[in-house]
Amino acid sequence: MTLELLPMLLLSLLLLTSDGADAGVARLVLSGDHRLDATDEAVIVGDATVTIPADTEIPAPVYVIGGTTRIDGTVRARVTQIAGTLTVGGDARIAELRHIGGTYTIHPDAEVARRTSVDLATGTDTRLRSVVALALVAGLLAAVGARLEHTRRRNLDTIARAVARHPVVTATVGALLTITALSLLVFMAFTLVLIPVSILGLLVGVIVAALGVVAWGHRLGQLLPLQRPHVATAAGVASLVVALQLLGAVPIVGDAVVGFIALSGVGAVVVTYLGFTDFHPAPLPD
Amino acid sequence: MTARHAHQPVDRPVRQSVLAVGSPRATDAATAARTGGRLRLVDLIADREWVPIAGYAFYVALLTAGYYYNLTFVQLGLIDLGSNRLGMTRSSVSLVMAVLALVALAVSVAGGVAMDRRGWSRDLRVKLRGLTAVAAVQLALTVLAPLLRTPEGFVVWVVACAATIGVGMPVTFSFMADLIPVRDRGFAAAVPAGLAFFVAALYPQQWRVEEFSAVMAVVMAPAVVVLAVLAFRPSQLVDRLAGQQAQFGPGRYTRPPASTASTAVFALAVAAMFAVFFIDSLGFLRIIDTPAYISTSWQSPDLGVRIFIAVAHVVGAAMAGVLYTAFDWRWLLVWVFGLFAFTHLLYTFHLRTAADAVPPLVLPGVYVLAVAFYTTLNFALWPDLSTSRTIGTRCAVGVGVAGWLASFLSTSVALASDAADVPLLTHLRYVDALALLLVAAVPLALYAARVRALARQEPS
Repeated sequence: MTLELLPMLLLSLLLLTSDGADAGVARLVLSGDHRLDATDEAVIVGDATVTIPADTEIPAPVYVIGGTTRIDGTVRARVTQIAGTLTVGGDARIAELRHIGGTYTIHPDAEVARRTSVDLATGTDTRLRSVVALALVAGLLAAVGARLEHTRRRNLDTIARAVARHPVVTATVGALLTITALSLLVFMAFTLVLIPVSILGLLVGVIVAALGVVAWGHRLGQLLPLQRPHVATAAGVASLVVALQLLGAVPIVGDAVVGFIALSGVGAVVVTYLGFTDFHPAPLPD
Repeated sequence: MTARHAHQPVDRPVRQSVLAVGSPRATDAATAARTGGRLRLVDLIADREWVPIAGYAFYVALLTAGYYYNLTFVQLGLIDLGSNRLGMTRSSVSLVMAVLALVALAVSVAGGVAMDRRGWSRDLRVKLRGLTAVAAVQLALTVLAPLLRTPEGFVVWVVACAATIGVGMPVTFSFMADLIPVRDRGFAAAVPAGLAFFVAALYPQQWRVEEFSAVMAVVMAPAVVVLAVLAFRPSQLVDRLAGQQAQFGPGRYTRPPASTASTAVFALAVAAMFAVFFIDSLGFLRIIDTPAYISTSWQSPDLGVRIFIAVAHVVGAAMAGVLYTAFDWRWLLVWVFGLFAFTHLLYTFHLRTAADAVPPLVLPGVYVLAVAFYTTLNFALWPDLSTSRTIGTRCAVGVGVAGWLASFLSTSVALASDAADVPLLTHLRYVDALALLLVAAVPLALYAARVRALARQEPS
């Protein structure tokens, strides 16, 4: 399961509860290639290839949050596409199709009783969109960095010191916390009652991760030949965010570097108590 | 040792709050700046100190091989041998396994105490001789295993095997005091913990005792010869390795000025680790019997899944090694309990809501993380809570009571619940309850210990 899937999973679960389906049962298909049999459960398609064959009738809602879904059969409830690819064949009968994101093709002979569309950003060039998004993130984090440099410089310094002095320990703590926290959040979301807590947790996680990146950028900014410290921090953060995005395109090595920086940032924020105290590993004799 | 090492001031551990992640200390930053929290092994390699490096290699190879043997032959092979080949009933095989655990425990404690009383714990050569004898007998037992035809022979075989395990446990675990400096113990414990499970996850795929016994015998025979040469022939290498104990020996929590490894602390550690092993075997024994879970994880026909599990073991052990080195052992314990509780919650939730769906890999993944954590802790903790005078006893009691007695008791309980037709879900509910209780109890106990420490400091 990829990280990007998590917010969409939360969204789909949220929609599932608001759709008033029998929310206790949902089938989450996260990987592999599946042909669905008749099922009473709501279906959530993650990074998988799912086919609803022509002779199959599904009374419960279907949510496409990733992967590839092909519908040839009958869905008596709403089909919601949030992301991924949806193909509706000529024999398909669908009570309602709600499109929020992702790409879809619908055969002209298909019977779709109702169609709603929450088009957020169609028609725009995807490359342009990702550049704008990157610029927004970089600008926002740079602004946060500059502000923190001004008001909470000691905290930033402390976090940056922790990543620089103890990269392995902070990355390990970050990795462990991220793995367990993410599984815990998904798990909470599945209880449905705890979806708000899960969203809150995700938000806290994003803030902690952002703080880690800002601290790394702050460190980087100190190396830049800039006189004013908050400008240096802002420049460091912005260039780090762009560099991380570019690195992410490099397979394996790039991912490893990005992962290391992100996780050590998270770990450093946690072990320094948000930068309020220096981190010292347990003392060991030589 | 080079002069550089000899003249480095000893960075003394201070008693610090177990709740504080770390406490600010003026000298700490200086020490960290000088050594960079680096492994001693890195310095040793840079200085080409081959003798201690050989000691590392020996320790890691020994523990990996020993633990792998235990995971495969003892835990899987014996059950297969008894029930499938000798046609014994499930309960009588379990009875034999219980005998194995109890004999191993008794021999191990007796052996450990004798090692300390007679000073064998401090003599590397004596320990090597003991190990040679253990390895030779185990080689013979391995070769004999496929030839067993009667349940009586099986019982005799198991008792002999238990005796060698009993002698082997304090001997192998106490090698850490001779071979691994305190700074590197988390790392040295993580490598065998990761490797043994890594190999065990990939081989054997299908259990066939003849094939496995032949492969093991081919690997073990040269190892026994090497051990015998090291143990009985005069060698400078062994002499120099034996001399390391004075420096490496005292465990991390026993060093002056403040030893935090009192008998009470040791007893608590044993109790906590007992609970860990007990929960693990209690839950796991039933999960292992549930085909839907085991065939989609540990015994999956899909090699990718098994590689995932194997790699997760290595990653988990590496994390545990880093955490053990950087934090107090009690933090690692909190994580172990937390991960176990979470694992059981995941399994129970899956059972309740989606029992017929393919279980996601996160279930075995979190489980593996917990196992990697406690295995690493088990390797490193007992030597670190002992001095060279107590290491035999403490390793024997620690591993024996926490590992073997817990497995014995939980096997009995799991079998009893199986025999009484307790459904998996009910069984796991008890395990869940226990896991949650411990998750709550450990942080509370840590907090109470802190309160007690503060109360003592208060001027009267």
